[in-house]
Amino acid sequence: MPIHNTEQLLKAVALVSAVIAAVIILWYLVRRPPLGRLTKSLLLVGLGVFPAVVSLTGNIAGFEYTLSRPFCGSCHVMDPYLRDAQDPKSKSLASIHSHNHRFGENSCYNCHADYQMFGAITTKMNGMRHLFEYVTKYANTGPDGEGGPPIVLYKRHDLEAKKLTEDQFNAQMNGMCMQCHSSHAAIWVEKHEAFAEDVRANKQLCIDCHNEIHPLALSRRPKKEGTR
Amino acid sequence: MKHLHVKKLVTLSAIATLVALGMMVVAIVAPKPILLVLAMSVGQGVGLLSLALYLLAIVLDLQAGGAAYEAALESNREAVDDERP
Repeated sequence: MPIHNTEQLLKAVALVSAVIAAVIILWYLVRRPPLGRLTKSLLLVGLGVFPAVVSLTGNIAGFEYTLSRPFCGSCHVMDPYLRDAQDPKSKSLASIHSHNHRFGENSCYNCHADYQMFGAITTKMNGMRHLFEYVTKYANTGPDGEGGPPIVLYKRHDLEAKKLTEDQFNAQMNGMCMQCHSSHAAIWVEKHEAFAEDVRANKQLCIDCHNEIHPLALSRRPKKEGTR
Repeated sequence: MKHLHVKKLVTLSAIATLVALGMMVVAIVAPKPILLVLAMSVGQGVGLLSLALYLLAIVLDLQAGGAAYEAALESNREAVDDERP
């Protein structure tokens, strides 16, 4: 397996460590040697040191992988989002950002993650919520999630449930875009002059105008008769 | 008696570590959301528990071994004292 990045290196370290630990453990279970000093030391390495390496490197590699687009697309309800993001001909925001060399492979995470302090933690906690929702509501739905409840952005859901105020919601939504797109750059000011202050004050959202985000999403498709 | 407990604990710890390693390796090879969550929670929990069991076994073994060592040392001292003129 060729190693091209840190994630692959960590995976390789984890797998090699797991094999060494397993060999030591199996040697003990099969041979049953007396528990002398050497056996105890070997077992400490096999039961403690190498599994700790597997756990640590596996955690980091796993966390890195959870940032990637294929991971987000591994639940079938995300297929339409993934198809559009990967389509080089699509002009949607998702596709444009997914073809960015800097973070295109992690485009879902980059746009949807909380960007504040502890953002990675709150995003992962929301990820657990995703998993729960998937298992309880979407696991048996159609190819693109047909038949399941409409997929709603969590922050919008939280706004409707009054867990977020409108100011917080707007600040978070614009903040996602503005972590890269400065509202003070000359070309931006030129194009947005009429409502620049409103956008900066989060009274107007970027996505109010730039709303072609996920055009293949079920919620954007024309409704068929008898479907939700 | 303690020696038997130690052997059982080490065997249990070894099997539990194999289970934990299996869960973690599966999550690395096939990183699906559920497998990752299981590896990072249950897998690591089992791994930690198995290490704790092993350390407990070592402590029990050291206690038993330590007592025998003290007794052997004491009898050796007595034998040396008896041999002295």
